[in-house]
Amino acid sequence: MRKVLILDPRDNIAVCLADLAEGDVIKQDDITITVKNKIPRGHKIATSEIAKNDGIIKYGERMGHAVAPIAIGEHVHVHNILGDRLSAEQV
Amino acid sequence: MTISIKGFDHGNRGAGIRNHQLILPTVVCSTHVSRRIATEVGAVTFAHQHGCGIIGDDVAGIDNFFVSLADHPNVSSVLAVGLGCETIQSQELAAKLLSRNKSTQYRIIQESGGVEGTVAAGVKAAHELSQAFPSAPAAVAKLRVGLDLGREVDSAASLEQLLKDEGCEVVVAHSEASSAETFSKLSQENVHVIISFPSESQPASGFPLIPVINVASNGVLHQAIRGDFDIDESTLLSGIVTLLTEVAAGSETVAEKSKSGEIRAPRVVRSA
Amino acid sequence: MSSPLKAYKRANGAWGLRNQVLILPMHSALSSTARAIADNSDGAVAISHDWSGEKDSDLARILFTLSGYASNPNIFATVFLSIGNPEEEQIIKGAQALGLTRFTNLLLPEIGSMEKLQQQALTIANGYVKEASAEARVDAPWSAIVLGLECGGSDALSGITANPALGVASDRLVELGASSVLGETTEILGAEHLLAARAIDPAVGKKIVEMVARYEDSINYEGIDIRGAQPSRGNIEGGLSTLEEKSLGAAKKAGNAPFTGTLEFGEIPKVAGLYFMDTPGHDIEQLAGFGAGHINVVVFTSGRGTPTGSAIMPTIKVSTNTPMYESIPDLIDLDAGTIADGIETLAQVGDRIFNEIVQVANGQLTKAERGGHHEFALSRMYKTVVK
Repeated sequence: MRKVLILDPRDNIAVCLADLAEGDVIKQDDITITVKNKIPRGHKIATSEIAKNDGIIKYGERMGHAVAPIAIGEHVHVHNILGDRLSAEQV
Repeated sequence: MTISIKGFDHGNRGAGIRNHQLILPTVVCSTHVSRRIATEVGAVTFAHQHGCGIIGDDVAGIDNFFVSLADHPNVSSVLAVGLGCETIQSQELAAKLLSRNKSTQYRIIQESGGVEGTVAAGVKAAHELSQAFPSAPAAVAKLRVGLDLGREVDSAASLEQLLKDEGCEVVVAHSEASSAETFSKLSQENVHVIISFPSESQPASGFPLIPVINVASNGVLHQAIRGDFDIDESTLLSGIVTLLTEVAAGSETVAEKSKSGEIRAPRVVRSA
Repeated sequence: MSSPLKAYKRANGAWGLRNQVLILPMHSALSSTARAIADNSDGAVAISHDWSGEKDSDLARILFTLSGYASNPNIFATVFLSIGNPEEEQIIKGAQALGLTRFTNLLLPEIGSMEKLQQQALTIANGYVKEASAEARVDAPWSAIVLGLECGGSDALSGITANPALGVASDRLVELGASSVLGETTEILGAEHLLAARAIDPAVGKKIVEMVARYEDSINYEGIDIRGAQPSRGNIEGGLSTLEEKSLGAAKKAGNAPFTGTLEFGEIPKVAGLYFMDTPGHDIEQLAGFGAGHINVVVFTSGRGTPTGSAIMPTIKVSTNTPMYESIPDLIDLDAGTIADGIETLAQVGDRIFNEIVQVANGQLTKAERGGHHEFALSRMYKTVVK
């Protein structure tokens, strides 16, 4: 069963289809990723290196930006990203 | 002569003149399930339009409103029913209610196996609450009477004095348009009973937890639907003490018999 | 391609996918009576609400909503319960202008009491129900379908399973000549530029962006932190991190078809196509707007599950994930969670949703209809200020 779902080739995140444990290895299609934290089903995992202030890309569109550097395999959620529109932080 | 009331002991809520088990829907999406539970066990519930997409000052406003309903002296026990994704979370509300009164439980539709599961679980919980918290008789030391003035009432001052002479506490509120919001405000003041003087263009209305005595004006609408009212304004002062005593002792008002059930919660801003 | 649809043809050319008899209280004090009439009848339905005739800044919105709702083409006849306020005449006249032909207006002061009103209304309602059951559906074109797109209780899978699958079905229907309406302005906040780019002309695109800006103004003016409600706590627990992410996922319900136009809350589309309607995110207020806008079938995607339905529009529930579908089956009609499990493709589930819409349009009852879920809520601005 596929563990993550990539919606668009331009995306830098994937959606987890199952709970992932730290250390799990995702081998799917042409990607290999080692999971860096415990990530619940439905949450996002970084599939590229993401620098602070970089856009988070899903469906090929920008859905927000990183507020800290994010490594491949890391949990991507409210603790390290913010939306662009009503965010207090300036990009 | 003072009105002496044999009421019900409702713990921290105080003594009430009704013994209502309340099925409290914490969001509009759970009102139908709440009604099914209430119908099956003979409890009281109400319909409302709130809970989803509440923002700003309304979050605390509606939360406080629900707490005040659960805290009302006419309430014996409370089963809160939520959906699971609403802004005001049922567990948190239930925790707040539980810290005030042990006679509280909650069920969540998304966690109880859907509608049928929640109805079954809710009925079971309601029965458990009734059994665990039977209401002992208690004297209501001071009957709190809410006056809803939706129109000019010449005898208002005399009525207030009369009630105070009989040992009642009186809370007066003025309705701007309809009585619905005033009833909610008066319920937050923990009145046991409401005497309502709706505007001449408004019908009689009720409130789920509190017996409402509707006083008819001489106007066309009220006289045409006189059967929906309990007493005429013209005979108010001579008849109110007897009527109030009967209602406090358990006699249902017209509004109670028709089980009116729409509640207006205080709102300041739009839904998101 | 001729359609397999059979529907009720209305006098003004609109199509009904249901033949409901609606009991409509014109005052909140008559809501319980309306409900009692419907419960005791042979199949009439009722809505309840909390408007007591207040003439405040929400009056126009409320009158418009009730006129549109009372004249929805899924209704065979409406029984109004009135107390004699002049606004009630406006609502009825408004409904007539929008296509309502069969109705009875029962005046409480003429009848004398709520109890007598209930008895009279019951007789009339049952008479209408009998007539309605005798009416036959006739062959209908694809344009008979006016589809409402809704989501509630979203999770991170909404935007990758149920919503895009619904988008596939919506695109197919629009291409065949039906109409489809996307709502919930708050849900597209952050994605409005994408939708605007898909408008049939720049004026429509501009309107989409303006509607979202107008919504933002009304929220920011109050100093409200929009993140307080959207994404909701349930959304965040499910994995959605930003408002934009949720909006992109929500916008997927409308597929890829071009937007023919925008609609104000409760406005009725004039020509077939895909539309955006300005509605709140509140699930039930949105349904009221859809009903007033003469939508006649709704698909409602949900990640966490909700029993919500409508008295007059069949509401098809689609789950975004299989565990929820299996744990609360009585709330859900169709599961799109198979996409997340790699068992079905987006196209396959889109197909299933399309077929379900056709069957429901032709009379198959949804779970919400069988459960008697007739939620209704008036959409108000209250004291919210729009600059």
